[in-house]
Amino acid sequence: MSTLNVSNITDGTTTVGTSYVVNGSAKHFCNWNGTGTPAILESLNTASLTDVGAAEVTVNLSSAMSSANYGVTGLSSGSDRNITYSRGSANTASAIKTYTTNLSSAADEAASNTVVAHGDLA
Amino acid sequence: MTHGHLWDRLAEAKSRLAPVQSKYRVLFEDPATPDEPAKVLVPDPNFMAAALAGNVLPPIDTYQRDRLVPDGQPKEHPYAEPIGAMSEEEAIEYLVQKDIDPAVWRDYQGNRTIMKIVPVEMIPADRSFRNAWRIVQ
Repeated sequence: MSTLNVSNITDGTTTVGTSYVVNGSAKHFCNWNGTGTPAILESLNTASLTDVGAAEVTVNLSSAMSSANYGVTGLSSGSDRNITYSRGSANTASAIKTYTTNLSSAADEAASNTVVAHGDLA
Repeated sequence: MTHGHLWDRLAEAKSRLAPVQSKYRVLFEDPATPDEPAKVLVPDPNFMAAALAGNVLPPIDTYQRDRLVPDGQPKEHPYAEPIGAMSEEEAIEYLVQKDIDPAVWRDYQGNRTIMKIVPVEMIPADRSFRNAWRIVQ
């Protein structure tokens, strides 16, 4: 593996510092199906997920974040509109805890779920 | 040549290796919350590919030591020298030690079976009564 050590990146017109690219890149994502037998369909920096119970999944990272205070975004799809967020215990540096619900806030599993994490790696 | 950061190795491995869907799942119960349903650990296909290929993942004991390191302090596992290739069974054991609490796989002294590695076909696809799942004794 080679390392390119540069301070800025340019396309000839626009120049940005490489720190913008490094700090702004997603450090983790995971897409899984939440119905039937759960499986991870696409991912980066994911080791596994734990099917905790109905509509509740913990996603385990391979390379941990520097602390639990990183940014997570999530989206779910399915027959109903769902949202994905942490419930009960909080995220840790190496685990994202998700719970999907319908618009009545009742547990509702979705066919497709994604979480993305931004922040600093450990 | 340095082995670099774990994240860099994972990203490089993802670009090079085909994902491997494991034929195993880990079914477990948490002895600290006996009223909760059984949980199912699902291996990541890119993680499995990296484990089977070798020279990507750090030694499992670095993760175990990092469990004790407070947030914000330097962690050992991202910078540890990667280990060699594993079999699929060894990779599942690695995941058990990494992602399941030691209270389940190491410290439990009761007489219930609280963890089983099973073929994926044994996990019910019907999730109607998901919160009633228990490990059959």
